[in-house]
Amino acid sequence: MVVKSTGSHDFSRNFKAHWVAPTLRELQRRKVIEEDRGGGPKIFHRSTFLEWNYDAEIFAFSNRLGEKFNDSSLRAALTHKSYIERETARLSDIGVESNLQFQDNEALAQKGGEIMSKFINGYLRAVFTQVPEELIRAMHDFLTSNPTLETVAKHIGLGDLMLCADFPCKTETYVKSFKAVVAALAESSGEERARIFVQDLVITQLYGQDVNELWNPVDPIGNLTAILKREGKAEPEFRLIRQAGSNSILAVYYVGVYSDKNFISEGAGESLEVAKEMAAREALKKFFHTEDSMRALPFGRQLKNIQSKIAQLENQPNVPLSEWISPKIMSAVH
Amino acid sequence: MSNSHLFLPSGFIRTPLQNGLGRYIPQLQRITIKFCKSHGGSRGVRDFIESDLMEFAKTNPGTVVYLKPRRHRSPCMVAEYLNGEREYLSCHEFSRDEVYKWLSYMCTRSGIPVMRFRKYQHTDYPTIQGVWNPFTHQAPEINVAEFPHEVLSKPINHGPTATEQLIEIFKKTQLEDPANKPPN
Repeated sequence: MVVKSTGSHDFSRNFKAHWVAPTLRELQRRKVIEEDRGGGPKIFHRSTFLEWNYDAEIFAFSNRLGEKFNDSSLRAALTHKSYIERETARLSDIGVESNLQFQDNEALAQKGGEIMSKFINGYLRAVFTQVPEELIRAMHDFLTSNPTLETVAKHIGLGDLMLCADFPCKTETYVKSFKAVVAALAESSGEERARIFVQDLVITQLYGQDVNELWNPVDPIGNLTAILKREGKAEPEFRLIRQAGSNSILAVYYVGVYSDKNFISEGAGESLEVAKEMAAREALKKFFHTEDSMRALPFGRQLKNIQSKIAQLENQPNVPLSEWISPKIMSAVH
Repeated sequence: MSNSHLFLPSGFIRTPLQNGLGRYIPQLQRITIKFCKSHGGSRGVRDFIESDLMEFAKTNPGTVVYLKPRRHRSPCMVAEYLNGEREYLSCHEFSRDEVYKWLSYMCTRSGIPVMRFRKYQHTDYPTIQGVWNPFTHQAPEINVAEFPHEVLSKPINHGPTATEQLIEIFKKTQLEDPANKPPN
Protein backbone atom coordinates (compact mmCIF):
# COMPACT_ATOMS: atom_id res chain seq x y z
CA MET A 1 0.00 0.00 0.00
CA VAL A 2 1.53 3.28 -1.07
CA VAL A 3 0.30 6.42 0.65
CA LYS A 4 0.98 9.77 -0.98
CA SER A 5 2.44 12.42 1.30
CA THR A 6 0.44 15.54 2.00
CA GLY A 7 3.18 17.85 0.73
CA SER A 8 3.98 17.80 -2.97
CA HIS A 9 1.39 17.51 -5.74
CA ASP A 10 3.43 16.84 -8.85
CA PHE A 11 0.72 15.86 -11.37
CA SER A 12 3.02 15.39 -14.33
CA ARG A 13 4.64 12.43 -12.55
CA ASN A 14 1.62 10.20 -13.09
CA PHE A 15 2.26 9.68 -16.81
CA LYS A 16 4.76 6.95 -17.58
CA ALA A 17 6.78 6.68 -20.78
CA HIS A 18 5.34 4.50 -23.57
CA TRP A 19 7.91 1.73 -23.06
CA VAL A 20 7.40 1.29 -19.29
CA ALA A 21 4.21 -0.80 -19.37
CA PRO A 22 5.39 -3.29 -22.05
CA THR A 23 8.70 -3.74 -20.22
CA LEU A 24 7.03 -4.45 -16.92
CA ARG A 25 4.58 -6.81 -18.59
CA GLU A 26 7.42 -8.79 -20.14
CA LEU A 27 9.33 -8.95 -16.84
CA GLN A 28 6.22 -10.19 -15.07
CA ARG A 29 5.70 -12.87 -17.71
CA ARG A 30 9.27 -14.10 -17.27
CA LYS A 31 8.99 -14.01 -13.50
CA VAL A 32 5.86 -16.18 -13.63
CA ILE A 33 7.64 -18.73 -15.82
CA GLU A 34 10.64 -18.86 -13.50
CA GLU A 35 8.44 -19.25 -10.42
CA ASP A 36 6.47 -22.08 -12.01
CA ARG A 37 9.71 -23.81 -12.93
CA GLY A 38 11.11 -23.35 -9.45
CA GLY A 39 7.97 -24.59 -7.69
CA GLY A 40 6.50 -21.38 -6.38
CA PRO A 41 7.84 -17.91 -5.51
CA LYS A 42 11.20 -17.76 -3.76
CA ILE A 43 10.92 -17.14 -0.04
CA PHE A 44 13.73 -16.06 2.21
CA HIS A 45 14.05 -16.35 5.96
CA ARG A 46 13.88 -12.99 7.70
CA SER A 47 17.35 -13.53 9.15
CA THR A 48 18.88 -13.38 5.67
CA PHE A 49 17.96 -9.68 5.44
CA LEU A 50 20.54 -7.06 6.20
CA GLU A 51 18.36 -5.54 8.90
CA TRP A 52 18.24 -8.34 11.45
CA ASN A 53 19.34 -8.38 15.05
CA TYR A 54 18.54 -11.62 16.83
CA ASP A 55 19.18 -10.22 20.30
CA ALA A 56 16.82 -7.30 19.64
CA GLU A 57 14.19 -9.66 18.25
CA ILE A 58 14.33 -11.83 21.37
CA PHE A 59 14.09 -8.76 23.59
CA ALA A 60 11.07 -7.54 21.65
CA PHE A 61 9.47 -11.01 21.80
CA SER A 62 9.45 -11.12 25.57
CA ASN A 63 8.27 -7.51 25.85
CA ARG A 64 5.51 -8.01 23.32
CA LEU A 65 4.03 -10.75 25.48
CA GLY A 66 4.64 -8.77 28.66
CA GLU A 67 6.69 -11.56 30.20
CA LYS A 68 10.23 -11.84 31.57
CA PHE A 69 12.33 -14.75 30.35
CA ASN A 70 15.73 -16.03 31.38
CA ASP A 71 17.86 -15.40 28.33
CA SER A 72 19.39 -18.87 28.30
CA SER A 73 16.02 -20.60 28.77
CA LEU A 74 14.39 -18.67 25.96
CA ARG A 75 17.25 -19.24 23.53
CA ALA A 76 17.24 -22.94 24.37
CA ALA A 77 13.49 -23.05 23.83
CA LEU A 78 13.89 -21.63 20.34
CA THR A 79 16.78 -23.87 19.25
CA HIS A 80 15.97 -27.14 17.57
CA LYS A 81 18.01 -30.29 17.40
CA SER A 82 17.94 -30.18 13.59
CA TYR A 83 19.63 -26.78 13.65
CA ILE A 84 22.40 -27.93 15.98
CA GLU A 85 23.01 -30.97 13.83
CA ARG A 86 23.12 -28.88 10.68
CA GLU A 87 25.54 -26.37 12.18
CA THR A 88 27.92 -29.00 13.53
CA ALA A 89 27.85 -30.79 10.17
CA ARG A 90 28.56 -27.54 8.36
CA LEU A 91 31.46 -26.64 10.63
CA SER A 92 32.97 -30.09 10.44
CA ASP A 93 32.68 -29.91 6.63
CA ILE A 94 34.73 -26.74 6.69
CA GLY A 95 37.12 -28.41 9.09
CA VAL A 96 36.55 -26.23 12.14
CA GLU A 97 36.41 -27.98 15.48
CA SER A 98 32.86 -27.39 16.67
CA ASN A 99 32.58 -26.36 20.30
CA LEU A 100 29.01 -25.18 20.04
CA GLN A 101 27.38 -24.42 23.36
CA PHE A 102 23.84 -24.80 22.03
CA GLN A 103 21.16 -26.47 24.09
CA ASP A 104 18.16 -27.88 22.26
CA ASN A 105 14.54 -27.68 23.24
CA GLU A 106 13.62 -31.35 23.44
CA ALA A 107 13.36 -31.51 27.22
CA LEU A 108 11.71 -28.11 27.44
CA ALA A 109 9.11 -29.05 24.83
CA GLN A 110 8.25 -32.23 26.69
CA LYS A 111 7.85 -30.39 29.99
CA GLY A 112 5.96 -27.56 28.32
CA GLY A 113 3.45 -29.96 26.79
CA GLU A 114 2.76 -31.50 30.18
CA ILE A 115 2.27 -28.27 32.09
CA MET A 116 0.18 -26.80 29.26
CA SER A 117 -2.16 -29.81 29.41
CA LYS A 118 -2.33 -29.42 33.17
CA PHE A 119 -3.24 -25.72 32.97
CA ILE A 120 -5.84 -26.31 30.26
CA ASN A 121 -7.51 -29.10 32.21
CA GLY A 122 -7.56 -26.98 35.37
CA TYR A 123 -9.26 -24.09 33.59
CA LEU A 124 -11.82 -26.27 31.83
CA ARG A 125 -12.77 -28.10 35.01
CA ALA A 126 -13.11 -24.84 36.92
CA VAL A 127 -15.29 -23.18 34.27
CA PHE A 128 -17.28 -26.22 33.11
CA THR A 129 -18.06 -27.64 36.53
CA GLN A 130 -21.06 -29.72 35.49
CA VAL A 131 -19.54 -31.27 32.39
CA PRO A 132 -18.49 -34.93 32.12
CA GLU A 133 -14.80 -35.69 31.79
CA GLU A 134 -15.22 -36.90 28.18
CA LEU A 135 -16.15 -33.42 27.01
CA ILE A 136 -13.31 -31.88 29.03
CA ARG A 137 -10.96 -34.27 27.28
CA ALA A 138 -12.40 -33.36 23.87
CA MET A 139 -11.95 -29.64 24.54
CA HIS A 140 -8.42 -30.24 25.78
CA ASP A 141 -7.57 -32.24 22.66
CA PHE A 142 -8.94 -29.46 20.47
CA LEU A 143 -6.87 -26.82 22.28
CA THR A 144 -3.64 -28.83 22.22
CA SER A 145 -4.10 -29.99 18.62
CA ASN A 146 -1.37 -29.13 16.12
CA PRO A 147 -3.39 -26.67 14.00
CA THR A 148 -4.45 -24.63 17.03
CA LEU A 149 -0.98 -24.42 18.56
CA GLU A 150 0.59 -23.69 15.19
CA THR A 151 -1.74 -20.71 14.69
CA VAL A 152 -0.91 -19.38 18.15
CA ALA A 153 2.84 -19.85 17.60
CA LYS A 154 2.78 -18.11 14.24
CA HIS A 155 0.84 -15.13 15.53
CA ILE A 156 3.18 -14.36 18.41
CA GLY A 157 6.14 -14.13 16.07
CA LEU A 158 7.90 -17.45 16.61
CA GLY A 159 8.33 -18.03 12.88
CA ASP A 160 11.29 -15.67 12.52
CA LEU A 161 12.88 -16.48 15.87
CA MET A 162 13.12 -20.26 15.69
CA LEU A 163 16.48 -21.80 14.87
CA CYS A 164 15.61 -24.86 12.83
CA ALA A 165 16.90 -26.63 9.74
CA ASP A 166 13.60 -26.71 7.85
CA PHE A 167 12.30 -23.66 6.03
CA PRO A 168 9.39 -23.06 5.61
CA CYS A 169 9.04 -24.47 9.10
CA LYS A 170 6.90 -27.52 9.66
CA THR A 171 3.89 -27.63 11.97
CA GLU A 172 5.68 -29.86 14.48
CA THR A 173 8.52 -27.35 14.74
CA TYR A 174 6.13 -24.52 15.60
CA VAL A 175 4.28 -26.64 18.15
CA LYS A 176 7.51 -27.81 19.79
CA SER A 177 8.84 -24.27 20.02
CA PHE A 178 5.63 -23.01 21.57
CA LYS A 179 5.57 -25.76 24.20
CA ALA A 180 9.24 -25.09 24.96
CA VAL A 181 8.50 -21.37 25.36
CA VAL A 182 5.77 -22.20 27.89
CA ALA A 183 8.25 -24.33 29.84
CA ALA A 184 10.89 -21.60 29.63
CA LEU A 185 8.38 -19.11 31.02
CA ALA A 186 7.52 -21.44 33.89
CA GLU A 187 11.24 -21.73 34.64
CA SER A 188 11.89 -18.00 34.41
CA SER A 189 8.82 -16.36 35.96
CA GLY A 190 7.14 -19.15 37.88
CA GLU A 191 4.16 -21.38 37.33
CA GLU A 192 1.58 -18.67 38.05
CA ARG A 193 2.69 -16.53 35.13
CA ALA A 194 2.91 -19.56 32.87
CA ARG A 195 -0.66 -20.48 33.80
CA ILE A 196 -1.92 -16.99 32.94
CA PHE A 197 0.09 -17.11 29.70
CA VAL A 198 -1.56 -20.38 28.62
CA GLN A 199 -4.98 -19.04 29.61
CA ASP A 200 -4.49 -15.84 27.61
CA LEU A 201 -3.06 -17.39 24.47
CA VAL A 202 -4.19 -20.99 24.15
CA ILE A 203 -7.52 -21.23 25.94
CA THR A 204 -8.85 -18.09 24.21
CA GLN A 205 -8.86 -20.18 21.03
CA LEU A 206 -11.88 -21.95 22.52
CA TYR A 207 -13.84 -18.72 22.28
CA GLY A 208 -16.19 -18.77 19.31
CA GLN A 209 -16.02 -22.57 19.09
CA ASP A 210 -19.24 -24.43 19.90
CA VAL A 211 -18.14 -26.97 22.51
CA ASN A 212 -21.01 -29.29 21.65
CA GLU A 213 -19.50 -29.87 18.24
CA LEU A 214 -16.41 -31.39 19.88
CA TRP A 215 -18.16 -34.21 21.70
CA ASN A 216 -21.65 -35.62 22.01
CA PRO A 217 -22.95 -38.50 24.12
CA VAL A 218 -23.67 -41.61 22.08
CA ASP A 219 -27.08 -42.44 23.54
CA PRO A 220 -28.66 -39.16 24.66
CA ILE A 221 -32.13 -40.58 25.25
CA GLY A 222 -30.80 -43.37 27.47
CA ASN A 223 -28.60 -40.93 29.37
CA LEU A 224 -31.50 -38.55 29.88
CA THR A 225 -33.68 -41.35 31.24
CA ALA A 226 -30.93 -42.42 33.65
CA ILE A 227 -30.35 -38.86 34.90
CA LEU A 228 -34.04 -38.25 35.54
CA LYS A 229 -34.29 -41.57 37.36
CA ARG A 230 -31.27 -40.63 39.45
CA GLU A 231 -32.86 -37.33 40.42
CA GLY A 232 -36.09 -39.07 41.36
CA LYS A 233 -38.11 -37.40 38.62
CA ALA A 234 -40.57 -39.05 36.25
CA GLU A 235 -39.53 -40.74 33.00
CA PRO A 236 -38.98 -38.44 30.02
CA GLU A 237 -41.98 -38.12 27.75
CA PHE A 238 -41.46 -36.99 24.16
CA ARG A 239 -44.27 -35.01 22.58
CA LEU A 240 -44.58 -33.55 19.10
CA ILE A 241 -44.90 -29.78 19.54
CA ARG A 242 -44.70 -28.37 16.05
CA GLN A 243 -44.52 -29.76 12.58
CA ALA A 244 -44.47 -28.38 9.07
CA GLY A 245 -44.11 -29.80 5.60
CA SER A 246 -44.48 -33.45 6.59
CA ASN A 247 -44.71 -34.74 2.99
CA SER A 248 -41.95 -32.54 1.59
CA ILE A 249 -38.15 -32.56 1.58
CA LEU A 250 -38.05 -29.62 3.98
CA ALA A 251 -40.04 -31.33 6.71
CA VAL A 252 -39.45 -30.04 10.23
CA TYR A 253 -40.61 -31.61 13.46
CA TYR A 254 -40.24 -30.04 16.89
CA VAL A 255 -40.24 -32.58 19.72
CA GLY A 256 -40.39 -31.52 23.36
CA VAL A 257 -39.19 -33.52 26.35
CA TYR A 258 -41.43 -33.45 29.40
CA SER A 259 -40.93 -34.98 32.80
CA ASP A 260 -44.18 -35.28 34.74
CA LYS A 261 -45.70 -32.60 32.51
CA ASN A 262 -42.80 -30.21 33.20
CA PHE A 263 -41.08 -28.91 30.10
CA ILE A 264 -37.36 -29.72 29.96
CA SER A 265 -36.22 -28.93 26.42
CA GLU A 266 -37.17 -29.10 22.79
CA GLY A 267 -35.34 -30.13 19.66
CA ALA A 268 -35.96 -29.88 15.94
CA GLY A 269 -35.16 -32.28 13.13
CA GLU A 270 -36.09 -33.40 9.65
CA SER A 271 -37.69 -36.59 10.95
CA LEU A 272 -39.30 -37.63 14.20
CA GLU A 273 -36.37 -39.78 15.31
CA VAL A 274 -33.85 -37.01 14.64
CA ALA A 275 -36.01 -34.47 16.46
CA LYS A 276 -36.31 -36.82 19.43
CA GLU A 277 -32.55 -37.22 19.66
CA MET A 278 -31.98 -33.49 19.31
CA ALA A 279 -34.45 -32.84 22.12
CA ALA A 280 -32.62 -35.31 24.37
CA ARG A 281 -29.30 -33.66 23.47
CA GLU A 282 -30.68 -30.24 24.37
CA ALA A 283 -31.82 -31.60 27.71
CA LEU A 284 -28.33 -32.98 28.38
CA LYS A 285 -26.85 -29.62 27.38
CA LYS A 286 -29.08 -28.02 30.01
CA PHE A 287 -27.81 -30.41 32.67
CA PHE A 288 -24.17 -29.87 31.66
CA HIS A 289 -24.67 -26.07 31.39
CA THR A 290 -23.31 -26.01 27.84
CA GLU A 291 -26.44 -24.79 26.03
CA ASP A 292 -26.17 -22.05 23.40
CA SER A 293 -27.15 -19.43 25.93
CA MET A 294 -24.48 -20.42 28.47
CA ARG A 295 -22.30 -17.83 30.16
CA ALA A 296 -19.36 -16.48 28.23
CA LEU A 297 -15.97 -17.96 29.05
CA PRO A 298 -14.08 -15.84 31.57
CA PHE A 299 -10.66 -14.50 30.64
CA GLY A 300 -8.18 -11.93 31.86
CA ARG A 301 -9.26 -10.02 34.94
CA GLN A 302 -12.37 -12.19 35.37
CA LEU A 303 -10.13 -15.09 36.32
CA LYS A 304 -8.47 -13.37 39.27
CA ASN A 305 -10.81 -14.88 41.83
CA ILE A 306 -10.79 -18.42 40.54
CA GLN A 307 -7.07 -18.92 39.86
CA SER A 308 -6.66 -20.85 43.08
CA LYS A 309 -9.65 -23.01 42.22
CA ILE A 310 -8.13 -23.65 38.79
CA ALA A 311 -4.84 -24.70 40.35
CA GLN A 312 -6.70 -27.00 42.70
CA LEU A 313 -8.68 -28.71 39.96
CA GLU A 314 -5.70 -29.43 37.74
CA ASN A 315 -5.29 -32.81 39.36
CA GLN A 316 -8.95 -33.54 39.99
CA PRO A 317 -10.76 -34.89 36.94
CA ASN A 318 -14.44 -34.25 36.43
CA VAL A 319 -16.98 -37.02 36.75
CA PRO A 320 -17.05 -39.31 33.67
CA LEU A 321 -20.36 -39.76 31.88
CA SER A 322 -20.93 -43.29 33.17
CA GLU A 323 -20.85 -42.04 36.74
CA TRP A 324 -22.69 -38.82 35.92
CA ILE A 325 -25.82 -40.74 35.03
CA SER A 326 -25.54 -43.37 37.75
CA PRO A 327 -27.41 -43.22 41.06
CA LYS A 328 -24.14 -43.06 43.02
CA ILE A 329 -23.57 -39.35 42.34
CA MET A 330 -26.12 -37.10 43.96
CA SER A 331 -24.66 -33.88 42.62
CA ALA A 332 -21.85 -33.48 40.13
CA VAL A 333 -20.67 -30.13 41.43
CA HIS A 334 -17.13 -29.54 42.67
CA MET B 1 -25.22 5.44 -1.80
CA SER B 2 -23.59 2.18 -2.89
CA ASN B 3 -20.08 0.90 -2.30
CA SER B 4 -19.62 -1.00 -5.55
CA HIS B 5 -17.48 1.76 -7.04
CA LEU B 6 -14.90 1.34 -4.30
CA PHE B 7 -12.00 -0.97 -5.04
CA LEU B 8 -11.41 -1.26 -1.33
CA PRO B 9 -12.27 -4.77 -0.13
CA SER B 10 -14.94 -4.97 2.51
CA GLY B 11 -15.29 -7.22 5.50
CA PHE B 12 -16.28 -7.53 9.10
CA ILE B 13 -14.14 -6.24 11.88
CA ARG B 14 -11.85 -8.88 13.31
CA THR B 15 -8.65 -9.28 15.29
CA PRO B 16 -5.90 -11.90 14.99
CA LEU B 17 -5.75 -14.63 17.62
CA GLN B 18 -8.53 -13.18 19.87
CA ASN B 19 -6.18 -10.31 20.73
CA GLY B 20 -7.42 -8.41 23.75
CA LEU B 21 -9.58 -11.22 25.10
CA GLY B 22 -6.83 -12.55 27.32
CA ARG B 23 -4.10 -9.95 27.01
CA TYR B 24 -3.36 -7.29 24.43
CA ILE B 25 -0.34 -8.04 22.25
CA PRO B 26 0.88 -5.13 20.10
CA GLN B 27 0.75 -6.44 16.57
CA LEU B 28 3.61 -4.43 15.10
CA GLN B 29 6.54 -6.82 14.98
CA ARG B 30 9.25 -4.62 13.47
CA ILE B 31 9.60 -1.37 11.59
CA THR B 32 12.41 -0.56 9.17
CA ILE B 33 13.07 3.11 8.49
CA LYS B 34 15.15 3.77 5.39
CA PHE B 35 16.46 7.27 4.79
CA CYS B 36 19.26 9.22 3.12
CA LYS B 37 21.82 10.90 5.35
CA SER B 38 22.21 13.97 3.20
CA HIS B 39 19.33 14.46 0.78
CA GLY B 40 16.68 17.06 1.66
CA GLY B 41 13.70 14.78 1.30
CA SER B 42 14.85 12.82 4.35
CA ARG B 43 15.17 15.84 6.56
CA GLY B 44 12.01 15.19 8.52
CA VAL B 45 12.95 11.56 9.03
CA ARG B 46 16.45 12.52 10.18
CA ASP B 47 14.99 15.06 12.64
CA PHE B 48 12.58 12.45 13.93
CA ILE B 49 15.39 9.93 14.45
CA GLU B 50 17.49 12.48 16.31
CA SER B 51 14.70 13.61 18.63
CA ASP B 52 11.63 11.37 18.99
CA LEU B 53 12.83 7.90 18.03
CA MET B 54 14.33 6.88 21.38
CA GLU B 55 11.14 7.79 23.20
CA PHE B 56 9.13 5.82 20.65
CA ALA B 57 11.37 2.77 21.07
CA LYS B 58 11.07 2.95 24.86
CA THR B 59 7.29 3.17 24.83
CA ASN B 60 7.02 0.27 22.33
CA PRO B 61 9.50 -2.31 23.61
CA GLY B 62 7.67 -5.05 21.70
CA THR B 63 8.61 -3.56 18.34
CA VAL B 64 12.09 -3.83 16.85
CA VAL B 65 13.20 -0.63 15.11
CA TYR B 66 15.71 -0.98 12.29
CA LEU B 67 17.37 2.08 10.76
CA LYS B 68 18.78 1.68 7.28
CA PRO B 69 20.59 4.64 5.78
CA ARG B 70 20.56 4.41 1.98
CA ARG B 71 22.26 6.97 -0.21
CA HIS B 72 20.39 8.75 -3.01
CA ARG B 73 17.05 7.12 -2.17
CA SER B 74 13.92 8.73 -0.83
CA PRO B 75 12.94 7.80 2.71
CA CYS B 76 10.34 5.16 3.51
CA MET B 77 9.20 2.95 6.33
CA VAL B 78 8.23 -0.71 6.12
CA ALA B 79 6.12 -2.15 8.93
CA GLU B 80 5.93 -5.90 9.47
CA TYR B 81 3.10 -7.36 11.49
CA LEU B 82 2.76 -10.55 13.47
CA ASN B 83 0.43 -12.15 10.92
CA GLY B 84 3.05 -11.75 8.19
CA GLU B 85 1.65 -8.69 6.42
CA ARG B 86 3.96 -5.88 5.38
CA GLU B 87 3.08 -2.27 4.86
CA TYR B 88 5.16 0.22 2.92
CA LEU B 89 4.91 3.97 3.34
CA SER B 90 6.94 6.56 1.52
CA CYS B 91 8.11 9.34 3.86
CA HIS B 92 9.50 11.62 1.19
CA GLU B 93 9.41 15.29 2.29
CA PHE B 94 7.55 14.43 5.50
CA SER B 95 7.96 16.72 8.45
CA ARG B 96 9.12 15.33 11.76
CA ASP B 97 5.58 15.41 13.18
CA GLU B 98 4.18 13.65 10.14
CA VAL B 99 6.70 10.83 10.54
CA TYR B 100 5.72 10.47 14.20
CA LYS B 101 2.03 10.51 13.32
CA TRP B 102 2.34 7.82 10.64
CA LEU B 103 4.58 5.71 12.84
CA SER B 104 2.06 5.72 15.66
CA TYR B 105 -0.63 4.87 13.07
CA MET B 106 1.40 1.80 12.10
CA CYS B 107 1.64 0.84 15.77
CA THR B 108 -2.07 0.77 16.33
CA ARG B 109 -2.87 -1.41 13.32
CA SER B 110 -2.91 -5.16 13.14
CA GLY B 111 -1.72 -6.63 9.88
CA ILE B 112 -5.25 -7.16 8.61
CA PRO B 113 -5.50 -5.24 5.32
CA VAL B 114 -7.30 -1.92 5.23
CA MET B 115 -10.91 -2.57 4.32
CA ARG B 116 -14.33 -1.02 4.49
CA PHE B 117 -16.06 -2.32 7.60
CA ARG B 118 -19.52 -3.58 6.88
CA LYS B 119 -20.34 -3.51 10.59
CA TYR B 120 -18.41 -2.02 13.48
CA GLN B 121 -19.32 -4.89 15.80
CA HIS B 122 -18.60 -8.57 15.65
CA THR B 123 -19.79 -11.35 17.86
CA ASP B 124 -19.38 -15.09 17.72
CA TYR B 125 -22.61 -15.56 19.66
CA PRO B 126 -25.23 -13.52 17.80
CA THR B 127 -28.19 -14.92 19.65
CA ILE B 128 -28.82 -15.83 23.28
CA GLN B 129 -32.53 -16.58 23.34
CA GLY B 130 -32.43 -18.34 19.99
CA VAL B 131 -33.05 -17.13 16.44
CA TRP B 132 -36.69 -16.39 15.59
CA ASN B 133 -38.43 -19.04 13.58
CA PRO B 134 -42.09 -19.09 12.53
CA PHE B 135 -42.93 -21.28 15.52
CA THR B 136 -41.62 -18.80 18.09
CA HIS B 137 -44.39 -17.22 20.18
CA GLN B 138 -47.04 -19.33 18.47
CA ALA B 139 -49.75 -20.43 20.89
CA PRO B 140 -49.55 -24.18 21.51
CA GLU B 141 -53.32 -24.30 21.00
CA ILE B 142 -52.82 -24.29 17.22
CA ASN B 143 -51.57 -27.88 17.45
CA VAL B 144 -54.97 -29.27 18.40
CA ALA B 145 -57.21 -26.53 17.00
CA GLU B 146 -59.94 -27.25 14.45
CA PHE B 147 -60.02 -24.51 11.81
CA PRO B 148 -61.97 -22.27 11.27
CA HIS B 149 -61.46 -21.37 14.95
CA GLU B 150 -63.38 -18.51 16.54
CA VAL B 151 -60.24 -16.96 18.14
CA LEU B 152 -57.31 -18.27 16.07
CA SER B 153 -58.90 -17.67 12.66
CA LYS B 154 -59.28 -13.96 13.33
CA PRO B 155 -56.36 -11.52 13.06
CA ILE B 156 -54.87 -10.75 16.47
CA ASN B 157 -55.35 -7.25 18.01
CA HIS B 158 -58.08 -6.51 15.53
CA GLY B 159 -59.77 -3.70 17.41
CA PRO B 160 -63.29 -2.43 16.63
CA THR B 161 -64.05 -1.60 12.99
CA ALA B 162 -65.25 1.89 11.98
CA THR B 163 -68.82 0.58 11.65
CA GLU B 164 -68.72 -0.92 15.13
CA GLN B 165 -67.28 2.31 16.58
CA LEU B 166 -70.10 4.34 15.00
CA ILE B 167 -72.70 1.95 16.37
CA GLU B 168 -71.13 2.35 19.84
CA ILE B 169 -71.24 6.15 19.57
CA PHE B 170 -74.88 5.95 18.42
CA LYS B 171 -75.82 3.73 21.34
CA LYS B 172 -74.20 6.17 23.76
CA THR B 173 -76.02 9.13 22.31
CA GLN B 174 -79.26 7.12 22.40
CA LEU B 175 -78.84 6.61 26.13
CA GLU B 176 -78.03 10.30 26.78
CA ASP B 177 -80.66 11.98 24.65
CA PRO B 178 -83.12 9.66 22.99
CA ALA B 179 -85.03 12.51 21.30
CA ASN B 180 -82.06 13.51 19.01
CA LYS B 181 -81.65 12.27 15.46
CA PRO B 182 -79.00 9.45 15.19
CA PRO B 183 -75.75 10.72 13.56
CA ASN B 184 -75.64 8.81 10.28
